[in-house]
Amino acid sequence: MTAAAVTLSGSLQLLQHSFLGTAVASVPWVFPITETIHVLSLAVVFGSIVMLDLRLVGISSRTGAVSAISHEVLPFTWVAFAVATLSGALLFLSNASGYAANRQFQLKFLFIALAGVNMLAFHLGAYRSVSQWDYRMPPPNAARIAGVLSIVLWLTIIVFGRWTGYTMSGE
Amino acid sequence: MTHTTVRHWADLIAATRLSQWLQDHLWVVPASQSVHIAALSVLFASALFISFRLLSTNAKLRPISVVVPALIPWMRASLVVLLITGTVQTVAEPVRQFVTPAFWSKMCMIVVAVSMTEWFVRSVRRHVERWDDAFHRGKARMFAFASLALWTSIVFCGRFIGYTWERHM
Repeated sequence: MTAAAVTLSGSLQLLQHSFLGTAVASVPWVFPITETIHVLSLAVVFGSIVMLDLRLVGISSRTGAVSAISHEVLPFTWVAFAVATLSGALLFLSNASGYAANRQFQLKFLFIALAGVNMLAFHLGAYRSVSQWDYRMPPPNAARIAGVLSIVLWLTIIVFGRWTGYTMSGE
Repeated sequence: MTHTTVRHWADLIAATRLSQWLQDHLWVVPASQSVHIAALSVLFASALFISFRLLSTNAKLRPISVVVPALIPWMRASLVVLLITGTVQTVAEPVRQFVTPAFWSKMCMIVVAVSMTEWFVRSVRRHVERWDDAFHRGKARMFAFASLALWTSIVFCGRFIGYTWERHM
């Protein structure tokens, strides 16, 4: 192992044996409750982002302005994303080195990063001129592509998330 | 129903060819669960969105008469997907599902939540104007809180089937 790998594996061990790590792993019901909170929050992240994505594609809420729907939906997405991150971090602590080495878990984070890049590209690109196409039907191609990509990426994230749980707990 | 009757039914389902096939193809259940999670996301987020809209006094938001008809078709479609994938998971592992109180509580709460939402949708269709400025009304608040509490408990029970079934065997 390289020096960096040794440090990483040492830090993961430290996290896992920290107070929080052992609490989540060994106190009865803490893991299942945290996991359910993770499911509830990811449901709001995905469900709310899909409402906006379907509007961007042009198949839902067709009469509403894109910017209005975006303002209504995104606060839910961000609050839920914060809860999903916190609950996810707690789950990670319970077995930090196991998750870090899990292929499905690594792929999940790759796809979360890709979803972030897609969102950023849309906001710095097509969304800047939203006032010009707020009601246009069908919406511009850049918006439709961003919407489809977002749905596909988030579905992939859900699949890898569920798959991680399956491989880690040996359900 | 007694415990033994329930086990008997579970064993009958487990012996069917469909159940056997599902048990032999281990990828089907996690795949079905992933679709189940995606569908529950649409349903849960829509229910949350409607509830917050009912509780909100912000006049700039789109009115209930616009939000509900826009979301309901997606909620119905996701409910169908949830019932299909849920059935697949139950046929694949009937014992695991049937022995847990979490499963039966979940089923009862789904019936209540779905009937309540159907009533709400019909009422919105019939008395749009009443719901549109209904934020001060007790009925809107009650529906919003009951719907949130029910769907949250349904997700909890769903996740807890996997964590409690072994102790009920």
